[in-house]
Order: sequence, then C-alpha cells, then structure tokens
Amino acid sequence: MVLELEKPRPIWQIMFSTHHTDIGLLYLISSLAFLFLGGSLALAIRIELFAPGAQIIADSMTFNRIFTVHGTTLIFLFIIPFASAVGNYFVPIMVRYKDMAYPKLNAIAFWMIPPAAALVWLGFADFTWYAQPPYSIISAPGPAADMWIFGLKILGVSSVLGAINFVITILKCKHPDMSIGQVPLLAWSFLATSVIIIVAIPTFAAALLMLLTDRLGVSGFFNPAMGGDPIAYSHLFWFTFHPEVYVLVIPAIGMMYEIIPRFSRKPIYSYNSGVFAFVMLSLVAFSSWAHHMFATGMSFTEKTVFMVGTLAAVPASAMHVFNFIATMWNGRIKFSTPMMWAVGGIALFFAAGAGGVVNSAMPLDFSTHDSYWVVGHFHLFVMGTIAFGSIGYLYYMFPYVTGRMYNETAGKVHFFMSFVGTILVFFTQHILGLFGMPRRIFDYPPIPEWIAMNQIASVGAMIIGVSMAIFLVNMIYSSGKGQLADTEDPFGLGGKYYYPFEAKNPHH
Amino acid sequence: MSGHSNYPEWIYVAVVIALMAWVGAEAWNAERLVEHIPEGAEVIKVTGQQWFWTFEHEDGTKEIGELHVEVGKAYKFEIMSKDVIHSFNIHDYVVLMDAVPGRVNTVWFAPTDVGEHDIQCREYCGLIHYNMRGTLYVEEAST
Amino acid sequence: MKGMFELLLILAVLVMIPAVDLAFAAGDEPGEYLDRRVIIWNLFFRMMTVAFTVGAVVAGTMIWLVWRFRESHPKAKPTAYEGTDWSN
Repeated sequence: MVLELEKPRPIWQIMFSTHHTDIGLLYLISSLAFLFLGGSLALAIRIELFAPGAQIIADSMTFNRIFTVHGTTLIFLFIIPFASAVGNYFVPIMVRYKDMAYPKLNAIAFWMIPPAAALVWLGFADFTWYAQPPYSIISAPGPAADMWIFGLKILGVSSVLGAINFVITILKCKHPDMSIGQVPLLAWSFLATSVIIIVAIPTFAAALLMLLTDRLGVSGFFNPAMGGDPIAYSHLFWFTFHPEVYVLVIPAIGMMYEIIPRFSRKPIYSYNSGVFAFVMLSLVAFSSWAHHMFATGMSFTEKTVFMVGTLAAVPASAMHVFNFIATMWNGRIKFSTPMMWAVGGIALFFAAGAGGVVNSAMPLDFSTHDSYWVVGHFHLFVMGTIAFGSIGYLYYMFPYVTGRMYNETAGKVHFFMSFVGTILVFFTQHILGLFGMPRRIFDYPPIPEWIAMNQIASVGAMIIGVSMAIFLVNMIYSSGKGQLADTEDPFGLGGKYYYPFEAKNPHH
Repeated sequence: MSGHSNYPEWIYVAVVIALMAWVGAEAWNAERLVEHIPEGAEVIKVTGQQWFWTFEHEDGTKEIGELHVEVGKAYKFEIMSKDVIHSFNIHDYVVLMDAVPGRVNTVWFAPTDVGEHDIQCREYCGLIHYNMRGTLYVEEAST
Repeated sequence: MKGMFELLLILAVLVMIPAVDLAFAAGDEPGEYLDRRVIIWNLFFRMMTVAFTVGAVVAGTMIWLVWRFRESHPKAKPTAYEGTDWSN
C-alpha cells in the first residue's frame, strides 16, 4: 500500500523517492491526468464534428492542433506511462525482488515526462502525431513543431530507459528459485514490450533528429527541394511505430492475464501459449510497418510483402483470445468491475483485429486509407482494448494500492456506459469511412449520411465522457473515504489476491 | 500449468492461419487485377498543392478544381505535388493515390456512368486540407 | 451442427467467385475495362461475410460463456481449483 490518505506522507518524499511503488504511483497519477486532458480534447473534436460548419472551434488550425495534441497525449502521456505505472509497481513484486534493477534510473525516466509533456502542450503543434514531412518541415508553424520534436525525443529516451530497467529486472533480478517459465504472464508482457521498445525507438530518435535538422535547413533528408525523400521518413517512422502499437497493446493483454484467470477462479488455460504468443507478437511486430504506406506509390511486390507480414501477426493475437475464452470455460466467474472491463476489452480486441485484416488486404486500402475507417479501427484498439484493459486493471489494483474498495455500482455503470459509447463511436466510424469521410478534417460537406453518423459518434463520445466523470469521482472519493478493503481477498474470489511477496516500501 | 491436451488450440490456430492465407490470396489477386493499366489509357496529369487540385489533359487542356472525363474511356492519372504530401481521392470510383513531391504516382480508372463525383484530399496537408476538394464530371462520350 | 453444412456451402461459394473471375483476363479494349469499384467492393463484401461469420462465432461463444459460467447460474459449481493453492 502506498497511497494512504488518512495519514498522508509528505509529497516531497514520494516525489524524490526511487522506490518502485512510489514511482509507479507517480506514473499512475500523471497518466490518469493526461487521460482526462487528452480525453477532453476528444470531446471538443466530437462536439465540433457534430454538424457541418464551425461549432465550438473557431478555425481549422485550432482544430488541427487539437487532434494532434489529442493523439500525442493519449499515446505518449497516458497509455505508455500507465503501462509503466503497472510495470513499475508490480514487476519487482512478481519476480520477487526488492525494487527495479536501477532505481535511480527509474526515477529519472519518470521525471523526463513532465518537461516533455510541457513542451508538447505549450507548443500545441498541428502536424498530426506523425509529423509527416514535407509538411512538418516546410509548412508546420514553429516553435510548436520544434517543441513537439524535443518533447518526443525526451519521451523516447524515457521509454528506452524504462525498458532497459524492465528487461534487466525480469531476466537478471528475479528470485533464484524462480525459473523464467514461472514468471507471471504480466511480467512476460513487460519483457516483450521492453524488447520491442529497445529495438524500435532508436529509429524514431534518428528520424526526429533528421526532421529537426531539416526544419533548421541544414539538411535535406526528407525535403525534396533539397534532394531528399519524404517517404524515407515514413519508413523510419513506421518502422518504429508499427511495433509501437504492439508496445501499447501487449501490456494491456498482460493485465487481462491477471484478471481473467483469477475472476474465473481457475488458472490460465495455457501459460505456454501465452508466452509463445507474446514472443511471436514481438517478433512479427517488425514485419508489417509499410502497410501504413500502401497509398504512397509502393510497388505491387512491396505491398504484398507487407500484407503478408501484417497477416502473420494475426495468429499470435488470436492465441490470446483463445486463451482467455478457454480459461473462462468451466470457470465460476465473478463479474466484478475488473472482469467486465477485461472481457469487454477482449470482445473489442477481436473487432479491432478483424477491421485491421480488412485494411491489410491491399486493394481495400484504397477505400479505407486515411478515412474514418482507420480512425474507428485504431480506436477500437487503443480505447476498446488498451484503455479497457488498463481501466479494468486500475479497478483491480485499487484495493492493493489504497487499502480501500471503490464503489462497485459506479464501476459497473462506468463500464456499461463506456462499452456502449465505444461501440457507438467507433463501429459507426468504420461505416463513415466506407462512405468516404477523410480523417483530420475540421469540417465536412452536408452529406446526409455523414451528418447522421457523425452525430451518432458524437453522442457516443458524450456517453463515454459522462462515464469517465463518474470514474473520476469514484476514484478520488473512494481513495480517501472508501470502505476499507479486505487486503487478503478484496473481491471474494477465494484465491490469493496477489503475489506472496509484499512490496516493502522503506518509507512505511 | 495446464495438464490437458491442447489439440483444440492447434485446430483453432490452423483455422486462423487458413483464413489469413485466404485473405492474402484474394487480396493479391484483386490487387493484380486493379493495378493492370489498360494500354491506350489517356493520361491526365494531376497536380496537388496547398490547397487545390489542377489537371492537365493529353491535349494540353488545363482545369482547376474540376475534371471532365468521358464515360467508357480509360484514364491514367499521373499524380504530382508541388509542396507537401496530398492524396488524390475520388471515393466513388475508389481512386486513391498519394501526391508526393519529388515523385510521380499513377492510378487508373474507367468511369462507367455519367454523373458528378467528389474529389477530395486524403492526406493531411495543413490549414485547408478539409476543403481541398474538387468535382469530377463524367460526361457522355463525344463521337 | 446442422447449420455447419449451410455455412460451409456459403464459404465455398465465396471462394469460388474469384476463381471464376480469373477466367476473364484483364480487358484492354474499350468496353472491356475492369471496373475497379466492382473488384474492390466485391472483395470487401466477401471479407465482411467471413468476418461477421467468425465474429458471430467468437462473440456468440463469449456471450454464452459469460452467461453459463457466471457464479449466479443455477448450475454453477466450484472449479476443480477452488480450495487449492491455484493462484500464485
């Protein structure tokens, strides 16, 4: 337990701490703050797009900035730090070690986030979270663009430092009596994610540096006017960011591996399949990046290679779905809030994957590329799978971290509203994309079908927004005034709530 | 650890792999058909720039924001950009190809019905990306 | 399992359609040009049929699981692991 609000610890003690539970808590608070900030931007976008014409946003440049910062914030300042929160808090406990391998490096990795976030938010760049040149070189207004570049540079370094810590902690610091085949699947998910980060991020770091020097005019890597090739950036960017989407999803699946077996009151159907699927996914993640570039004028052979690489990832993801379904089979399932989120997340994970397979079929991309189909598809992953898995896990670890229980009814209401809202927004957007609506547009012509679907999506977004407000109140109120939880078995499942090795925070 | 047989899982994975192989084969075949540009297709040069489209026909005729073509003829678009990346899109005919400065991309189509269709930009290109639109007019063939 | 035969029949037809397509070489004459819309949307709808079929199986399984194995189901019985030290 680290968050004791009855007898609060001095805030500076948490801020300067290097203990993994304190750093986990810092990542947690920070990531949740950005969830709400980034989510508010999403609500602004959906209100604006409710109908043709300007609603609440005055001009397209402001709109462009809003969706850029929305995407950047939720990916880099919510999803990744939230996973770091969970990993930092629980990986040492899972491998039965006293802390992460490099506690001070851990603290440094966290503290890189606030300045990077400040750069992104104070800059408010407009060039989308891809920063595609030549627009980002010759047309995007600075200093916003340069601030974004620096901010992401810092975030990339922070990620890599965290990844190094996880790999060493899991492989080298695990308890001598624990073989690698006994390490829990959540820890395996952090191992897989961290390896992907270490391999993939440096490519983007190079691309960012080249983008910066191009913007300064001292180089011409991606600027055709200086002999460069903008598609080179696309390759570098997507070589990092396709694996990065696996970095985003793998910890969330790992979190579901904690929840689903326990709430089904039986062990996971196949631990070995889980490990195999994580390892396969982290390898195959690297084989599909140019499916994001199918419209750039690639040759038939190139496109075929990347389509095959994309499809190759599906069996590994499908193995996780099978594992969860087979685990629930013959279980005696308690549908408390965390379990609802995990199961809902798996259902939406399947839907997201199915849509992705359609995208990867080369000629279909001519219909769906850069349309709302893509927006619907990836949001089913980041919201439907990752946010659902993360939020479910947050409810699950709430009693562990705070010693209190959250309000169960509010948690279930949060789930149902978010589930319905997610379907309303993102399933509809698939169809909207098929009707041709491009993404990243401030306004659209008054085509009746577009208007109707945008309105459905906006209503869905409002439902999600209200449910998140309920969530916020539940979390804050219950942390301070919630019922004290039975820390042995807060959910009444009958098994051990958590790992036998206790987190010993030296400040307690 | 589970102590039971895993054969349902093997069957399941085999089914998934078979499905993916089917998707890949179908997509490969469709792409092969779609990418085959008929000989004698009339070339139209398409230029994207912030924030409008211009077209140049084989006979030198130029159009801005509008494109007039004839039913039943095959057209090959040679797509260029003057500044940033745009993407030329006639959604009703599933024509989509990026306009990348420094290179020429090609895509073809053969309109089958008389009518008007929207042309839009499908790659973020800045302030007026949302309104970088045009109109395709498909007209009766002139004999 | 009765529905299985009908299902396999539909899927077999879906596979046959492009095979028939292959019989027609890509046209090079006016009037014979391929309509890219038809090729692309045809592929899309065939894939949607398969996707929704698989989706119905997956979602249907999950819905049934969630209903049958909930702890409040009248036939719910403790798993073989309850009472043992199964969760580590």
